Amino acid sequence: MADPIILARGLSKRFGDFTAVDAIDLEVERGVIFAFLGANGSGKSTTIRMLIGLLTPSAGTIVLDGIDVGLHPRQVRERIGYMGQKVSLYAGLTLRQNVEFYAGLYGIEAGDLERRWGAVRERFDLAQAEHERPENLPAGVRQRAGLALSTLHAPRVLFLDEPTAGVDVESRGLFWELIQDASDEGVTVFVTTHFLEEADYCDRVAFIDAGRLIADSTPEGLRARYSSGYRIEASLAAGSRERVLAELGRAGFVAEAQGDQLVARIPALDSEGLRRLSLVLGPEAAASVRIEQASMNDVFRRLIREGAALAAPAAGAAT
Amino acid sequence: MSAPVAAPAPRIRLRGLRKRYGPRVALAGIDLEIEGAGIVGVVGPDGAGKTTLLRCLVGLLEVEADEASVLGVDLRGDVRALKARVGYVPQVFGLQRELSVAENLAFTARLHRLDAGVWRRRAAELLERTGLTAFSARPAGALSGGMKQKLAISNALLTEPEMLVLDEPTAGVDVVARGEIWELLEERSRTMLILISTSYVDEAEACERLVYLDAGRVVAFGPPAELRAGVPLELYRAWAENPRAAARATRALSFVSNARATGRFVRVEVARAGSPGVARVLEGLRSLPDDAVQIAEPAAIDMESTLLDLARRDPAGPEAAR
Repeated sequence: MADPIILARGLSKRFGDFTAVDAIDLEVERGVIFAFLGANGSGKSTTIRMLIGLLTPSAGTIVLDGIDVGLHPRQVRERIGYMGQKVSLYAGLTLRQNVEFYAGLYGIEAGDLERRWGAVRERFDLAQAEHERPENLPAGVRQRAGLALSTLHAPRVLFLDEPTAGVDVESRGLFWELIQDASDEGVTVFVTTHFLEEADYCDRVAFIDAGRLIADSTPEGLRARYSSGYRIEASLAAGSRERVLAELGRAGFVAEAQGDQLVARIPALDSEGLRRLSLVLGPEAAASVRIEQASMNDVFRRLIREGAALAAPAAGAAT
Repeated sequence: MSAPVAAPAPRIRLRGLRKRYGPRVALAGIDLEIEGAGIVGVVGPDGAGKTTLLRCLVGLLEVEADEASVLGVDLRGDVRALKARVGYVPQVFGLQRELSVAENLAFTARLHRLDAGVWRRRAAELLERTGLTAFSARPAGALSGGMKQKLAISNALLTEPEMLVLDEPTAGVDVVARGEIWELLEERSRTMLILISTSYVDEAEACERLVYLDAGRVVAFGPPAELRAGVPLELYRAWAENPRAAARATRALSFVSNARATGRFVRVEVARAGSPGVARVLEGLRSLPDDAVQIAEPAAIDMESTLLDLARRDPAGPEAAR
């Protein structure tokens, strides 16, 4: 990777004789949504807290946007936004008062604040909540307000620790749209979650299990490695059969005809594969396409089983 | 006197169940009748009243109701008889952290005055079944999240209750342990009624029946397939090279009510009432400018769309509770 915005090497954290994070390496490209997945207690929060300089690593280095986090934690803070598992809004203050408080912390001036908050309030749909106290807001709105506050100072990297925990399905979906919007504007998002299906909202996925990184890939890369991939069905016009099968074969699909149905398989359906598939099938067959893919829950179930097998003392030779 | 033949009396029968905490109304009149065995999911947005309902059902809260009986015990009266017959796994960690796995089970056994021979045999079976045998000397506080929950469930099952109530037992638990917990619950659910609250969409789908709560009311109750069938939406998947850009383009189509990029495709929801028909929706998606969408296909309404649709209904509305 040419110029990662987050670069961690050999990152470890021990609490007494318990190793929470065990020598992990992370590289996060600028502008991506990077999902950091794992169960409760796997080391996700410890890692995120080290990355933002809240917790000193037992070993390893972290460079964030070119700055050594261990050496210059204050400089790092201006560049990042953080939202923890418990949204840090002050109870007793209205949302508006919280905004002013945060603006003061980040040295945002009054005129600038009006402009920025105005835009954020609009996008995050917070106008109605502005004069409410956070303790009186539903969890989903509180999460949105927390995200709004963490983006107020226009950070380059957003760290979101379990932003969708305890939030219902509807709010979770809306929340991911906001995260994707932030990413489309160039903000790098480092986000932890234990909802595995949310990996599909992200560009890159790392999985931590018992303090060790057992996967670091794209969602499609994980699907290709830990599932039987994609199965595609479409109706096949009699005359086009040989041509379609041959062309799909050349594009990396394993394709066969079953009567007048086409059945094609491919480990991962990347942009190129998708484009070729739609071209080869043409508009008529494309109308009858059915695509099946493995769920992220199934992918991770297999990943954890195989990851555990790799971590156990191997009976045979390692590959 | 011999035990009565299992009569099909509902195990849970609630009419107008209300619960207030001071001025706040947590349950605003629950009508619910649950018969037989199986896994019944309790789902709904944060603050809907899920935890309160579960706590009422195990006799932990005083309630107001026109009718409220669980296993034939009136929740408005003396519920001590109920507590021995219902297993409960609360959302907060309910184990003794310093005690070992085995000691936690012994503690529960003593609390319920179980015969030593009986509980030891049951405990050994439960530990074996949950894979905790090798960890029986480990303090509960030092177990992984998944193992803690397996122990909490074993604890609740030790008395061989007639009904099991679990409040988000799998929150934050890894996907493999979640699967194992569900296997155990499915096994037990053949003979036992199990109520479970969850925020996982896949778990809601796996329940035999679902209670959808919102604002302290039952918005829907039934098997997942029935709830899915009642969703007034059509669902499509629009496969795209750049799903996020495609989602934006898709939202511009007049008949699209919602579009969200996920992985390689855009989930597109179209209100049935405003749909121009499957063929024209697919055509519309495929003809978006800049070839935004490569392949479009209709999809079956899934649990995610079902929960989203239920969340949009007015809990007090006429078509909500039946």
